Amino acid sequence: MQDVRLRTGVAVLLSAIAFLNLTGAAAAGIWCLVFARNLSLRRNARLFLSLAALVGFFAIVLAITGGDGVSYFIRMMVIVLIGAWVYSEQKKGEFLQLGVWLLGDKAGFDLGLVADMGMQAMDLLIADFEKIRLAEKLKQRPLSATGIVPGGIVLVNNALRRADDTAELLAVRGYCNGGLLCPVFKAPRRDVIASLLACCVAVIALIPVSEFFILYR
Amino acid sequence: MKLSLDGVVANRGEGDWSVQVHGTFTEGIHLVSGDVGSGKTTLALALAGLTAPVSGSVERDGITSSMLSFQFPEYHVTGLTVREECESWGVDPDTVLAATRLEGKEALSPVRLSRGELKRLHVACLLGKEYDFLILDEPFSSLDCREKERVCRDLSGRTQGITIIFTHEQMCFPRVDHIWEISCGKLEYRGRVPDALPLWQHAPKLVRNLLAAGKIPDNISPGDLVEAACRT
Repeated sequence: MQDVRLRTGVAVLLSAIAFLNLTGAAAAGIWCLVFARNLSLRRNARLFLSLAALVGFFAIVLAITGGDGVSYFIRMMVIVLIGAWVYSEQKKGEFLQLGVWLLGDKAGFDLGLVADMGMQAMDLLIADFEKIRLAEKLKQRPLSATGIVPGGIVLVNNALRRADDTAELLAVRGYCNGGLLCPVFKAPRRDVIASLLACCVAVIALIPVSEFFILYR
Repeated sequence: MKLSLDGVVANRGEGDWSVQVHGTFTEGIHLVSGDVGSGKTTLALALAGLTAPVSGSVERDGITSSMLSFQFPEYHVTGLTVREECESWGVDPDTVLAATRLEGKEALSPVRLSRGELKRLHVACLLGKEYDFLILDEPFSSLDCREKERVCRDLSGRTQGITIIFTHEQMCFPRVDHIWEISCGKLEYRGRVPDALPLWQHAPKLVRNLLAAGKIPDNISPGDLVEAACRT
């Protein structure tokens, strides 16, 4: 989906209905399977499996404490899937364009800039994590809970250092707040149809089937 | 002991860029030079066996231990203090701290050191152990001239195993046995030093000037270059 406005809107809508109930999660999941191109799950398999393990852990805790762990796991995994789709389709500068389109040159520009920098930071965090993992492999260190701490410190430290550098760079270039940008979007017919179908999926998930089929009652 | 590469193609990222290798690394110190972005790190990862080549085969003969040093030393940090970091490499902390002038900082977190200090510590820990196969990716980055010379002296003292140095350094080198270059996506062997020097496209200006003056240095360490320059 090329248009970031449609993509973000669809992602928010589908995430909301996936979180609401199992029907919504199933409908959102089917929508993803049909329309979510460029899903790089294989390339980011380790990250996806880590998230699945994390969600699985909380689902088990929920099931033990009397909640519906299975439902929680399925709904959250669909949301993770939607997140993976948004992340894999995201291009640099898109959030900045979306922010300006949505909220204007002041608050919109700032929020868009923050969102774009956040996405960039995530890419760098993943690259850092991969290097740390390789370095630990070279040292032949066994996997342990205490071994994670130094790696975590390096990740946070690198992220803070980069944030400092970026802040200084923005200040040096005279950035105070806001900025001028003319957003340009491209919405092919396929994207519009996919978005409309996402709306239909939301309606189906929110309104019981019996409301559509009166004779069914 | 040797590392043979037969038609190896190493890819970076999405596979839209690659470097090809065909050759054998024997015991000694090998210098691989190339421009920034020419694929030195990609090749280093493939040689260390951390990334699988797209095609070709890598054969390790007699290599029982190997190590790769990344350009940025923080990735290697696995200790919560400088002392623990030294111990994680299996070297004596007191010896390393004295050699790197970091005494009094053993209780600090390694990430609290400046990048130059951390690089100093990292390289000293690395060279404090013997590896059959050692790959150094930009070992001189973040170091001042004094530290570069110290690292060069330590590296020149490595007499066993295969050592490969990937660098675009132009000022300070250890004594090396072989020179390779990455050019147009291919790793090319220039030969043994000093015979390789006239063929070395990335040779520093000082080396080129000495060659132009008919003074062929025995090697490329600062001492060898001074000796050649002062030769009458």
